[in-house]
Amino acid sequence: MSEEHGKPGQGIGARVPRKEDSRHLHGRGQYVSDTVIPGQREVAFLRSPVAHGIIRGIRKPANSEGRVFTRADLAEAKDIVAPSTLPTYKLSGQPPLAHGKVRFVGEPVVMCVARTRAEAEDLCEQVELDIEELPALVDSDVARFEKSNRVHEDWDDNLFLTLSADNGFDALSKKATVVVNREVELSRQAMVPMEGKAVVAYWDERADQLIMYYSTQTPHIVRTGIAQFLGLDEGQVRIIAPDVGGGFGYKVIVHPEELSVAWLAMKYRKPFRWIEDRREHLVSGANARQHHYRLTAYADDKGRLLALDAEITIDGGAYSNWPFTIGLEPGQATGNLPGPYDFQGYRCKTYCVATNKPGFMPYRGVARTGVCFAMELLMDAIARAVDRDPYEVRMENLVRPEQMPYDNVVKKHYDSGNYPAALALAREKFDHSKWAERQKKGEPDGRKIGIGYASYCEQSAHGTSVFATWGLPLVPGYDQSAVKLTPDGGLEVRVGVHSHGQGMETTFAQLAHEILGIDVQKIKITHGDTGTTPYSTGTYASRSIVMAGGATLKACQELIPRIVKIGAFLLGCKEDEARFDKALGVVGPDGRAVELKEICTVWYLRPDRAPLDVDRRGLEVSVSYKPDRDTGAFSYASHAVAVAVDTETGQVEILDYVIAEDCGTLVNPMVVEGQTLGGVAQGIGTAMYEEIQYDANGQPNASTLADYLLPGPTEIPNMRIYHMETPSPYTMYGIKGMGEGGAIAPPAVIFNAVNDALRATGVEVSKTPLTPHRLLEEIERARHQQMPKREAA
Amino acid sequence: MQPISLTVNGEKVQAHAEPRTHLGDFLREDQRLTGTHLGCEHGVCGACTVLIDGAPARSCIAFAVACEGREIRTIEGFGEDAVMGQLRIAFNREHALQCGFCTPGMLIAARDLVLRLPDADEQRVRVEMSGNLCRCTGYRGIVRAILSVLELRRAGNDPAIEVKPAQAVPEFKPFEASAPAVAAAGPAVALAAVQKAAGTVIEDEFTVDHPLAKVWEIFGDMPAVAACLPGAEVSEHTPTSLKGKVSTKFGPMKASFAGAAALERDESAKRGAIKGNGTDSLSGSRARGDISYQLFDAGNGRTRVAVAIDYSLQGPLAQFSRGGLVREFVKKMVADFAANLNARLGAPAGAAPAVAPVMTISAGSVLWSWLKKLFGSNS
Amino acid sequence: MKAAAFEYLKPQDVPGAVKALAGSAGDAKPLGGGQSLGPMLNLRLARPKLLVDVSRLEAMRTIEDKGAFWRIGGAVTHSAIEDANLAGCTVMSDVARNIAYRTIRNRGTIGGSLAHADPAADWPLALPALAATIVIAGPAGERSVPAGKFMKGAFATELAEDELVVAVEVPKLSPGARWGYWKFCRKTGEFPEASAAMLMDPERKLARLWVGALDGAPQSLDALAADIAMRGTQAVSETSVSAALDLAVPGQEPVSRRLHVTAVRRAVQKGFN
Repeated sequence: MSEEHGKPGQGIGARVPRKEDSRHLHGRGQYVSDTVIPGQREVAFLRSPVAHGIIRGIRKPANSEGRVFTRADLAEAKDIVAPSTLPTYKLSGQPPLAHGKVRFVGEPVVMCVARTRAEAEDLCEQVELDIEELPALVDSDVARFEKSNRVHEDWDDNLFLTLSADNGFDALSKKATVVVNREVELSRQAMVPMEGKAVVAYWDERADQLIMYYSTQTPHIVRTGIAQFLGLDEGQVRIIAPDVGGGFGYKVIVHPEELSVAWLAMKYRKPFRWIEDRREHLVSGANARQHHYRLTAYADDKGRLLALDAEITIDGGAYSNWPFTIGLEPGQATGNLPGPYDFQGYRCKTYCVATNKPGFMPYRGVARTGVCFAMELLMDAIARAVDRDPYEVRMENLVRPEQMPYDNVVKKHYDSGNYPAALALAREKFDHSKWAERQKKGEPDGRKIGIGYASYCEQSAHGTSVFATWGLPLVPGYDQSAVKLTPDGGLEVRVGVHSHGQGMETTFAQLAHEILGIDVQKIKITHGDTGTTPYSTGTYASRSIVMAGGATLKACQELIPRIVKIGAFLLGCKEDEARFDKALGVVGPDGRAVELKEICTVWYLRPDRAPLDVDRRGLEVSVSYKPDRDTGAFSYASHAVAVAVDTETGQVEILDYVIAEDCGTLVNPMVVEGQTLGGVAQGIGTAMYEEIQYDANGQPNASTLADYLLPGPTEIPNMRIYHMETPSPYTMYGIKGMGEGGAIAPPAVIFNAVNDALRATGVEVSKTPLTPHRLLEEIERARHQQMPKREAA
Repeated sequence: MQPISLTVNGEKVQAHAEPRTHLGDFLREDQRLTGTHLGCEHGVCGACTVLIDGAPARSCIAFAVACEGREIRTIEGFGEDAVMGQLRIAFNREHALQCGFCTPGMLIAARDLVLRLPDADEQRVRVEMSGNLCRCTGYRGIVRAILSVLELRRAGNDPAIEVKPAQAVPEFKPFEASAPAVAAAGPAVALAAVQKAAGTVIEDEFTVDHPLAKVWEIFGDMPAVAACLPGAEVSEHTPTSLKGKVSTKFGPMKASFAGAAALERDESAKRGAIKGNGTDSLSGSRARGDISYQLFDAGNGRTRVAVAIDYSLQGPLAQFSRGGLVREFVKKMVADFAANLNARLGAPAGAAPAVAPVMTISAGSVLWSWLKKLFGSNS
Repeated sequence: MKAAAFEYLKPQDVPGAVKALAGSAGDAKPLGGGQSLGPMLNLRLARPKLLVDVSRLEAMRTIEDKGAFWRIGGAVTHSAIEDANLAGCTVMSDVARNIAYRTIRNRGTIGGSLAHADPAADWPLALPALAATIVIAGPAGERSVPAGKFMKGAFATELAEDELVVAVEVPKLSPGARWGYWKFCRKTGEFPEASAAMLMDPERKLARLWVGALDGAPQSLDALAADIAMRGTQAVSETSVSAALDLAVPGQEPVSRRLHVTAVRRAVQKGFN
């Protein structure tokens, strides 16, 4: 369970350095923006300066035919409409370019084309927009009840969706002796991959295909979407996702700009390129995390949670995205709020409200960062109410290992794990007593020490049955992997998922190595091209290693009998006398062996030496896979943190950060650590730095990285991570997904620590991000009780 | 297009570039050196870091034409460089990259750090690398990789670390300070700014040495009122409306909001409002400003004027977090308006102490030229 | 995010630069390191018709020991100051070292920073506290302005459209001088939310205390500075700093006030530690 461990060799559990690093270390990565197709034109978008308004007119500059486009010009392109089977869900059509109305600041209205991007931007400046402003719907609590002013006129209110759950609430809440109320809130933020959206589109006349170099996590579903919205056959669209500079959920969506550029290439049969710049990203891509919770916990006098009542409001922005829909976030919020805890009474009402902001999209962790924040702050509040150590109260409420597999209050099926052990491990490695002592002693500089804990579980590899309940237009099923041995004994693996930092070019090679023993350097993983890889819905929801990885394991296993058949023939023994050995190849009863490489040579180049009844499907196979029980493999973790709070500046310093995590069987501990630490860094951003505020007109206050602060090396502590390994009973090799988990707990654990530090002052913070300004405001308010509460919207 | 010649990765390059083309675009698009990545194009993220004459710099905010004669080195230009080689090995071993987008800039900044600060410890490495953002790794691998290369180099070199003797600071001897040669420019403007429903409201009040009737009259004279608002020009007006524009200049930023205003006058209450809207056509930004005023008889032939501006800004010019700067700007406009009005009414100097200090306006500002015009016409 | 078109000119000398600026009726901007102007250009917030590159004018690139003071050229970069060991003015290196990031410091210039006059920048706060002088070149030749009079407000300075900061002159500190500088940034290298600088130089009878990162120009707290000169840190309390700020920066909202009180107290504390 120690840090830095790894199994020897190159298979599952080995700390194999990444194969994909070399090109990046030499500046030879290939991103969409690096692509140049001769004759390519550059695209820029003119975006709405106001949040809500009626487009009265658009005046194009003179002689701009074929260079300036509005929605009316894009006749062949359909609006992006994401249907859902969820009851109460309302459809919102998102035009590729705004039509009739603008619904958020930054919504693309006009598309301009020129020789260079600078000239395309010059052209944008010559277009005149006549927009009649309407009052902006900025506050979801107001918009929820507003019926006359609506984001979508064809609706009768501003509710995208209302979900509710009620399981055993009345009976159990009555038994409570302690009732705790809290209100918590997360602000709106952007995902900020270092590379924004990017697309190069052209028509390949010979292939008769629209070819798009596309910065996406999900090339196959993007193809489905583009074909649908342009009325093309899927065979007429090929999506190539080369190196992708970070995804985090931002790149699982078909965005209106991408559709517009695809239309250009289809219409004009010429190459076009659009690269989202940082201002466009921050203004038009502020689409994540904004939840508001009103919570009531019903507990006994030891702090044992009996029932939970929740009202969740999600600020959904203006449009439902395709294909994940606006339903995903409220669906996950409602279903995941109970978290890793064992209680049986739950009532929840979730409102997803349309507002004049960019449409909500699934950011790493999806709703779970929000629900973990809500639940873990509540857990600490319960502990305070019963005057007990939050650690103890949390420990007693966690699902116990002997209850596994455990069906929780909303029938989520927790497959495996020891949640209390992870919490205990975090506390032990964190050295709780050391920090408690330091807290008691006080700091020489007057800062206040706080200790926080947070636990969560992360449903990974959600399968068909789970996605179907979220009502998506596109439900993932089986993932495929196509593997092929090469004549020289190497292996090619083609998968439909995409790797953009997750290291799958290495970890998938480790999986194949685990079965076939081929050196990972000789295993080539191909991904990211619909023209060369089997269909997959792609990389999201911590699913790739379980799904496409599982398919790869299965496919390699399927090759073994075929290998053995040739090997046995070469050894002159019966098939059932021979066995496959990863190191030796095929081994006969006398111990003689024939190498895999020779077997490959025989099949491809010397079939004259092959048995007559050779398996004629050959040494390549495409296999599909999903776990038999596809309700998800649950990774989980506990985080522990010590902070120092400077009450004179509102500055919070993270002094120590410990993660105890269990994602089942570790494929590559180094990659697991990288994913976790990166997730935590983003979570720290959510907790302390990242925010886009909107004024009453719906104007965002951040369009540069000087306004929107991303944590840098001095803002992220030197985190320590410890592993547990409880294999999932349902997946190949017990592997669980884990790409999102790191981003889930940081706001919760940091706020708990800060509240612990400030307990004596009566300050309790509950809104992200915890900026010095926000914290000082709370401290000042506690100092002078009369100061009225004032929060920016 | 302007001709430039410079050296890129050791090769002489003769090329043409538009002055506005930044070095990052020049390297990527003209030289096809795509290892230099653009992450923000405003000098914050560090992905575009290259060496200019050996020193790391942001290529997104250096213009290619300004690099005439310079030596540029990009991630593609480090061939067998020993330190870069060590860093590459360490970055791979310590899992210091994931998506790879920040990596080239990160390596170039790291190499500079290793060469410049051979004794750097972890905290120093973190501080020095803080100009390079990574969204994937959480920095631990990056910091570890750099520390390991520093370690490696220290082990290989003569570890003669210079220890500076602590310098004794003499005991502080109290003294009587001489008056500062300069008085400060005066206290900052102290007008209240209140965030209201749809905008920010700034209020001011001043007294003029003229009877209410005269002041009320001038408030009805639109060209006169507009002339008191810095940068305002009236192109046409009726008793209830006007058209025109307001030009503003804020440091290097300029905007010109063209639009219309509705005028309201309540004779009995001696109250009025000018409600204006305008658009800056180039940026597409919109400004709304409602100036309301009310006059009160202050006795002895004097009039107290209460003015408030309720303003909001929309579009690209509004999308920044430092709202205090804009507030400061608008406060100044209100104060200038008050001062100008006072001047227009011929009030003796010093009659409006609340606004006098802000008359320290930078020469060359729009207001300054306007004031010169105003004073010029009066003399 | 590409700049609007502009013309670029690289004059041979300072008079050439001044002439170019004077000849373009307010539509020209001098270009130093471009670390503030560059982003504004790319964002199209600034749209000058002409950029006059002064970053390579030799007359503005030197650091000279003038006996009682150092003369630092306007086009000297922050990193050159960071790396220089200016006898009697090592505090200049300390200030420089904490400006933004090294890559920014490698290009950004002291004159450019002053001329840009961002209220949160370091030099507009540090130089008045150090009793420095700003040397300005214009059509009529050179003139000098005390640093405390140079900045007039947010992005507003003493400079006319056809003037340049050619140098700053920083007096050397006496051996017994105390210098304290403190700024509060949400993250390393970003603009501070509050800052303060203190100089107590008994030999020169100089007592300076300035507060920065306001909405407008930095402000001096002269009376409090004089009191510190007489009584040392005893003169500094929550109450005395608040009272000084009430005069110099009236009407601050409570959180900003809290941060600026802290900045002043910590700058003083640093000076006396």
